[in-house]
Amino acid sequence: MTIKDISKTFFAKLAKFQKNTKTSVRDPDSLNVNVRNYAKNKDNGPIVFMKGITCRFGNLIANQNITFDLKKGEIHALLGENGAGKTTLTSLLYGLYQPESGEIYVKGQHAVIRSPSDAINLGIAMVHQHFLLTLAHSVTENIIVGLKSTKGIFLNLDKAEEKILQISKKYGLKIDPKSTVGNLSVGEQQRVEIIKGLYRDVDILILDEPTGMLTPMEEKALFEALRSMVNQGLSIIFITHKLREVMEVSNRITVLRGGNVVGIVKTSETSEDELARMMVGRTVSVNQISQGSISKTTPPTVLEIKNVSALGNSNVLFLKDIRLDLRKGEILGIAGVDGNGQNELAEVIAGLRKVKYGEISMDGRSIANLSPRQIRELGLSYVPEDCLHTGLILEYSIIENLVLDRWYTKPYSNKLFLNKTEMMKFADKIIADFEIKIIELNAPVSSMSGGNLQKIVLGRELSRDSKVLIVHNPTRGLDIGATEYIHKQLIKQKENGVGVLLLSLDLDEILTVSDRIGVIYEGKIIKIVEKQNTDIDQIGLLMGGKAIKT
Amino acid sequence: MKVELQRKRLISFRSCVPFLSGGFAFVVVAIILSLAGVNPIMAYGVMLKGAFGSLHGIADTLVKTTSLLLLGLAVAVAFKCKVWNLGTEGQLYIGALGATLIGISIIGSIPILGIIAMLAAGFVFGGCFALIPAALKVKFGISEIIVTVLLNFVVLLFIAYLLHGPLKDPTTVFNPYSPVIFSESQLPIILPHTRLHAGIIIAALAIIAVYVLLSKTKIGFEIRSVGANIKAARYAGMNVTKSIFVIMGISGGIAGITGAVLVSGVQHLLIEGISPGYGFIAVIIALLGRNNPFGVAIAAFFFAALMSGSEVMYRMLGIPSSLAITLQALVLIFVLIGEIFARLQIHKTENAMKNW
Repeated sequence: MTIKDISKTFFAKLAKFQKNTKTSVRDPDSLNVNVRNYAKNKDNGPIVFMKGITCRFGNLIANQNITFDLKKGEIHALLGENGAGKTTLTSLLYGLYQPESGEIYVKGQHAVIRSPSDAINLGIAMVHQHFLLTLAHSVTENIIVGLKSTKGIFLNLDKAEEKILQISKKYGLKIDPKSTVGNLSVGEQQRVEIIKGLYRDVDILILDEPTGMLTPMEEKALFEALRSMVNQGLSIIFITHKLREVMEVSNRITVLRGGNVVGIVKTSETSEDELARMMVGRTVSVNQISQGSISKTTPPTVLEIKNVSALGNSNVLFLKDIRLDLRKGEILGIAGVDGNGQNELAEVIAGLRKVKYGEISMDGRSIANLSPRQIRELGLSYVPEDCLHTGLILEYSIIENLVLDRWYTKPYSNKLFLNKTEMMKFADKIIADFEIKIIELNAPVSSMSGGNLQKIVLGRELSRDSKVLIVHNPTRGLDIGATEYIHKQLIKQKENGVGVLLLSLDLDEILTVSDRIGVIYEGKIIKIVEKQNTDIDQIGLLMGGKAIKT
Repeated sequence: MKVELQRKRLISFRSCVPFLSGGFAFVVVAIILSLAGVNPIMAYGVMLKGAFGSLHGIADTLVKTTSLLLLGLAVAVAFKCKVWNLGTEGQLYIGALGATLIGISIIGSIPILGIIAMLAAGFVFGGCFALIPAALKVKFGISEIIVTVLLNFVVLLFIAYLLHGPLKDPTTVFNPYSPVIFSESQLPIILPHTRLHAGIIIAALAIIAVYVLLSKTKIGFEIRSVGANIKAARYAGMNVTKSIFVIMGISGGIAGITGAVLVSGVQHLLIEGISPGYGFIAVIIALLGRNNPFGVAIAAFFFAALMSGSEVMYRMLGIPSSLAITLQALVLIFVLIGEIFARLQIHKTENAMKNW
């Protein structure tokens, strides 16, 4: 399939979709009227107006004739899947790229934004997904770095601290200006980033996927702060691909797909289902995966972890006294903030990390400190977190990648030589079963899309006849359609009697598919609960390390 | 569609790089030559004539090609597993030692079997010797780059000791030579009245063997996987330690065979200078040939011609053969620069797509 074909089907789908959702789609040209009105009527007009923006990278159109407006005092969500052009659009506003065509108006003035400092002068600040802070310095130092007033010989930290506290109080962004950034939690670091913008007296904030690394509690606090900001006259552009957040916090939503605006809607007049349809271009089921009946008798345990401790990457004890039992035919979700030992736990089970103390048994057989191959042969499938670099060899073809775990067995090889015909047969089957889109069978997989690469790993791991399946962040970075597909596959595995251990940072995902939920915090499983006996708040508190008294 | 086309063009640009680099190096050396008052066109003419102008020239070039090809293959094969074997010079000497011991023993007097035994001894000696850096790397995480380089000097001194002492030919007084091997274990000359011996056939077989090993066999798949992505190989249950041992054994073994071929085909005895630094040029050849067995063959032929041509250039025009070394070094530098540019371009396009 060539790119031309893909784009052809894409545009066909788009046309069909636009027919179906005529009500929510507005012709971008009709917005041109706004430009004229806008010039006449500066006070009521939008604070940011981007008109006919087109931006290309090479042959890829990231933004095509996009028109976007931000009103004063609103939270405007930019919703879209990965690659829809959200970040590109805001990067243009922040001066990181220049648009190929189109105009930007800020506060009624035509603006040419060549750099972030231009943007800041216009009152626009952006908080990136990955923070730009120096961990060794204090909050105040991080905030005032680069400001003109600091360019003398001495710093006036007291005055700066005062202003930070003032901002902190005004918007409910709790922070201690004296503390070192390295000691702060992710949520607090994000507050520092936001205050950094506000300190420069901006009134337009761009937040790029701000909730990606937050616990639910931190997320709640952030949303409250954002509401307080817009109430006091700030305007916020909120980039996300999560429907729940959009519904919770935004006033208006612009949905992007494939670099085009597919709809501008008021949050109060839409629903998650409608938004999902707009994002993907077809109907998808959101959070509606069947749970299956829960049997009365407890099924047998397939994976038992008893008091396991293991070293982390810096050779200190990182996993501490892990106790866990995974039953046949269940999905056990492990929630937790990133870096609390999820990767180490998966590696210990898969034999990629040494067990220091304790015992692991799979289906009654001890597997602690066996080789990865032995553990796999005893019935483990493992979809690793970093699928691209751990699960695949990018310079290999799809055929070689699909047999990466079984190339040495019959019929894929005899005593000495590989059997390419058998490998090809197997690859054809998996490609058909998992609907993997390939351009060329023998080309390196590095040219394939993320979703398809994920499917290769999934296809290989799920086609093993296994008892235990570990999946680590299986849907990170995937669009709604692919996510839905993967969740269905996990459920299918569970129904086939496989014990599935789902490690995920996405709490929504865990709540959607798992039967029981465990929480990992600082290398410990601090609690495992039945799904029906819990809710997002309880899990959120546990993720932050707060045990709940019951 | 357009994206694909661009990708293909870039790849073919990449395969042109070694040739362009060679060309640039020749241009720069031409400038140096003319600064020294020599007509560069004439000098290069003499060089070309020396390397290919006569039967002797061609034979000499091919004899040198044999050694360079085998050693280049040894380096390249190790690099397929992302292991740097910079110790092929030392492994060559150890292999030559093993072959000599067989060649002067009673086994060496048996026709055909003598030659096979010598080659086998070269492989085993060189291969086992290369397991030392492999073991140090696997057990203690010591960089094989350092160990292999330093072991070269250990070997050279050890060989010198043997040739001045226990292995010295008792019939000579002055020369640090080993005894001459039996004539039955000497590789036959395949082009009469020249030095061209059957070693070139062994080199050709080695190319095929390495190609089959890497792309058709089970162990080859494992080795390539470990080399391409050690994390993924481990995750998929492959044995990284085994791969490193096997590949170092094979790499050292091929270097050892080179030593055996030099003893059996060229010198017929062990001397201190049996290799004029082939092991170091081998690294350049592996790089130039992009670790591909056939690419290595082309690069080895190019360097062999360069070496034998510059010898003639020295005899005819008095241009020091150190100029040939300059030329080799310049080729390497230009190749490295070319690689960076070729990679940069691909990287750029990929990056733009990622940001999207």
